[in-house]
Amino acid sequence: MFEVRDLHAYYGKSHVVQGISLEVGDGEGVGLMGRNGVGKTTTLKSIAGLLTRTQGTVTLAGTVLSGMSPHTRARRGLGYVPEAQAVFPEMSVEENIRIGSLIQSRADQSRCLDLAYELFPILSERRRQMAGTLSGGQQKMLALARGLALRPKLLMVDEPSEGLMPVNVEVIAQALKKATQEGVSVLVVDASFDLVRTACNRMYAMDLGVLVGMYRPSDFSSPEMLAATYLGERSA
Amino acid sequence: MNQFLLQLLNGLVVGSSLALVASGLALLFGVLDIINFAQGEFFMLGAYILWIILGATHNYVLGLIAAGLVLAIGGGLLLLVITWPLLGKAQVLILLATLGVSLILQQLALNIFGGDAKIMEPPIAEGVDIGPITYPLYDLIIIAVGMGLLLAGFFWLRYAKYGVWVRAVAQNRSMAAVLGVPVPRVYLLAFMISSGLAGIAGGMLAPVTSVFPSIGGSIILNSLIVVVAGGLGNFRGAAWIAILFGEIQSVGSIWIPPVVVQLLLFGLVILLLVLRSRRKTALVRL
Repeated sequence: MFEVRDLHAYYGKSHVVQGISLEVGDGEGVGLMGRNGVGKTTTLKSIAGLLTRTQGTVTLAGTVLSGMSPHTRARRGLGYVPEAQAVFPEMSVEENIRIGSLIQSRADQSRCLDLAYELFPILSERRRQMAGTLSGGQQKMLALARGLALRPKLLMVDEPSEGLMPVNVEVIAQALKKATQEGVSVLVVDASFDLVRTACNRMYAMDLGVLVGMYRPSDFSSPEMLAATYLGERSA
Repeated sequence: MNQFLLQLLNGLVVGSSLALVASGLALLFGVLDIINFAQGEFFMLGAYILWIILGATHNYVLGLIAAGLVLAIGGGLLLLVITWPLLGKAQVLILLATLGVSLILQQLALNIFGGDAKIMEPPIAEGVDIGPITYPLYDLIIIAVGMGLLLAGFFWLRYAKYGVWVRAVAQNRSMAAVLGVPVPRVYLLAFMISSGLAGIAGGMLAPVTSVFPSIGGSIILNSLIVVVAGGLGNFRGAAWIAILFGEIQSVGSIWIPPVVVQLLLFGLVILLLVLRSRRKTALVRL
């Protein structure tokens, strides 16, 4: 079980996240939606430990992560795939995947590579290529494949479908769903109707730093309905 | 021909030692985005440590290992006590802090050891015939050890777990952290390796040159030139440019006065910077 209680985050004097509380069950897929700039990415960064000015309690599988460094949180099972700049540009595709698995056993490192290549075979074809020379979409695939292959207890993914072709969005949606079926909890920020319908059991709506509603994917019968909610036009 | 071969080898001696200091500086800049102005004084202290140990035990290898180890620990302490509290603040504060440390170390060396140059005999006096010249075996060992350490550093960065992590932190610090890379430990390791390399370089060169409190001044100046020319944060680039620097300085002095060679090198660096500033891509890292 992953739990966030009364999370606050600040950028300078700006109070961006204003007391968020949310839960993600074991093997559950949960979405976080809202307009640009309402604090979704800041919420994920705060949970990952990347922001210095935060308050609140973050608990993962009974361990309180608040106050821990980002790398300690990662070693406790917290995975995070940011929206941008998620790869090491002057390292090969294979090295990019290996970095995260170096804290695991050799057998797990090998399994991690296999899982990532199985998810996106194009990464296997380009395993020796520098990550910085991949297209934007391929870099996104690389970061996602690495995040998924590491099999954390909770994986946070920021805008995984952005910039990807529909066929790859479907692959990601299925991969996230499969991860939840294998017991990984997933917290995803995304506006893709297909991805949300496939990978999420529940969705929180966020506006101006606070959560304003909770939905089930079945509440949306069309992409337009989801977009309207995402844009804050149907907040509960 | 004899003169050319002699200066070519001399250039390698200077270049490989300079490469150890400069690649350490480049490593530090790559990982922490800072320049350690005390690196020249770490070189100087490495030379004094060798002088002390050699005087006490007559064991050169022990002296060189001690120079590397003591300076590595000293570098770690410099990071923890002085640099760490300033990380994330204005970079000029770290520059000033390390500059302050370098002045303090220089003054301390002057007070403790005096201003006179300490001269040591190389541990090996034999020469080796290379074609028409006889070259000191010790100088060849300096080249071999310097090159060996640089090669070891290159492979360590490429294949060892912490080496890969050092490169990861240099390229994308926050992403490395969220993947479980212990960033503070990588900082400490980079600082210790950088300082240790300077200590070893100082110890190696001590019997060839001589040791005095301000010996680090020219080393840090040349190292900065090399690091800037090699691409800030580029370990391999700094090593290559340092060797090239040593060769140009050494071989060039056959035909041109050394001061003019130095000026030409400055000009070359300015030209490199101008060319680099026109490139749109970022500088190559580690």
